[in-house]
Amino acid sequence: MRHNFIDRYANLDSPLHILEARTKLLAFTALIVAVLWIPAGNDFAFFAYFFLTAILMGTSQIPLMYIVGRTLVILPFIVLASVAAPWKGIAGLSVLFLRSILCLMLLIMLTNTTRFVELLRGLRKLGCPRILVLNLSFLYRYLFVLTEEVLRMRQARDCRRVCRGPMRGELKLLGSMLGTLLIRSFERAERMYQAMLSRGYSGEFQVLAPRKFTWRDLAFLAGVAFVIFVTFWSGQIAKVWTRVLA
Amino acid sequence: MHIPDGFLTNRIAVSLDAVSAAGILYSAGRVKLEEAGRKVPMMGVLAAFVFAAQMLNFPILGGTSGHLIGGALLAILLGPMAAFLTMATVVIAQALFLQDGGLIAAGANIFNIGAVTTFGGYAVFRLLGGARNTGRIPAVAGFFAGWVSLLLSAATCALQMALSGAIPLRVGLTAMVGYHAIIGIVEGGLTASVLTFLARVRPDLVDSNSKTRLGIADWIGTLVLVALPCAILALAGGSELPDPLEKLLSVDHAAEQIVDPQKLTSAGRFGGYFVRSVLFVVLIGVAYLASRLARWKRSRS
Repeated sequence: MRHNFIDRYANLDSPLHILEARTKLLAFTALIVAVLWIPAGNDFAFFAYFFLTAILMGTSQIPLMYIVGRTLVILPFIVLASVAAPWKGIAGLSVLFLRSILCLMLLIMLTNTTRFVELLRGLRKLGCPRILVLNLSFLYRYLFVLTEEVLRMRQARDCRRVCRGPMRGELKLLGSMLGTLLIRSFERAERMYQAMLSRGYSGEFQVLAPRKFTWRDLAFLAGVAFVIFVTFWSGQIAKVWTRVLA
Repeated sequence: MHIPDGFLTNRIAVSLDAVSAAGILYSAGRVKLEEAGRKVPMMGVLAAFVFAAQMLNFPILGGTSGHLIGGALLAILLGPMAAFLTMATVVIAQALFLQDGGLIAAGANIFNIGAVTTFGGYAVFRLLGGARNTGRIPAVAGFFAGWVSLLLSAATCALQMALSGAIPLRVGLTAMVGYHAIIGIVEGGLTASVLTFLARVRPDLVDSNSKTRLGIADWIGTLVLVALPCAILALAGGSELPDPLEKLLSVDHAAEQIVDPQKLTSAGRFGGYFVRSVLFVVLIGVAYLASRLARWKRSRS
């Protein structure tokens, strides 16, 4: 099984990848918030953010089809919304659609240009509770181990049974599989804790050769802030401009 | 179940972010006090367990399949505080890894999938006396804990969507609760079945952890953290008053009113719209290609 399906393109080498995690977290969160706060009917702002996202996507060197494929997870929600709320009309639904697609693309860009360990370090430095960051890092490291365990168990079950039983029996079978997995997870966690203690675990985890905050990060943040500022005030700027011209 | 960004009103999404952040900080403090260190790898590995266990699908009628969400089960085994943290970890990881659920909507998802399933499931389990008794009662209580936790979670999700005006309450509530009443049977059945299995194989796990009680203060804290924001949301979330942020930045609402959906889609404007959107798409495509093909200096730092 592939072991890097989570942050598959995070090890590329592009101007976006070499930025520090905190920079990207702040910038992409700010962009998503800005996209969510675009007033309906401000076409220029939607265009500006799509333009910016396209530039970021190109710069990051992540394959386009990968991003498009990942964006398709939004589709059921779009269908649901258009079936359940048809009175919103094409205009209302397309705003919803564009907004959620933009947010999704930005989120994909964030996780695929940053190695997960660095992302966690950034979260920790931004004041995320230590216990949550530790949980996330354990999840990331042991997800693959447990997933393989699940696949092995599933294979073993499929080898041994001839056909599906009644629903009660199936539930019991799956319950004991999950229980076994749970016990193994518990025991693994206990072993891990002892191993961590014996190797001098102090409560914080370290990153080898973390990226540093440089002038690039500052420039990127400034650029993002500029774009958000301009698009947010674009209505007002246009009004002032026409007044000046008149 | 995972709400993406853009489907909730900003006001609701942000206030639920605040609620979830407060909940995480509170339970992080509580868990640290309870058992320093020892539970840390446990919660992380169990988060991975929940992630992996969701790969074991259980077929239900008509091609759909359900899987264990695990909130109620973890709450029964670990106590609700640690279970909430674990589920919050899972939800955040799903948003970051799989883009299941948005970033700003993460608060709402943590609330629905993390808080409601764990605290709700735990409350049901305790009320039915699952922790005090032995024999078949814990399994039955576990079944209802799992089933109710999923129903509650679906109901809050539908409520949030309805308050945001994305999906009307009557449609959303019936669809979500109806669907999850069926899915919930699997959740409850698996919770019960895992509990009976553990009681047979490793009874110490079930016993030792069912003793982690929540004091009165915790329940009051939970109520204040959960019920109060819910009431405020229900009263204020759907109101037409301007957003605090919009008010602060004095967004021009006149511009929004000019854009009448009917006028926008009228035939006369269609030509102009078509040309403009083609132009936009071409410009965006050019921007993408230009930045993609640019020779960035290889810089190994």
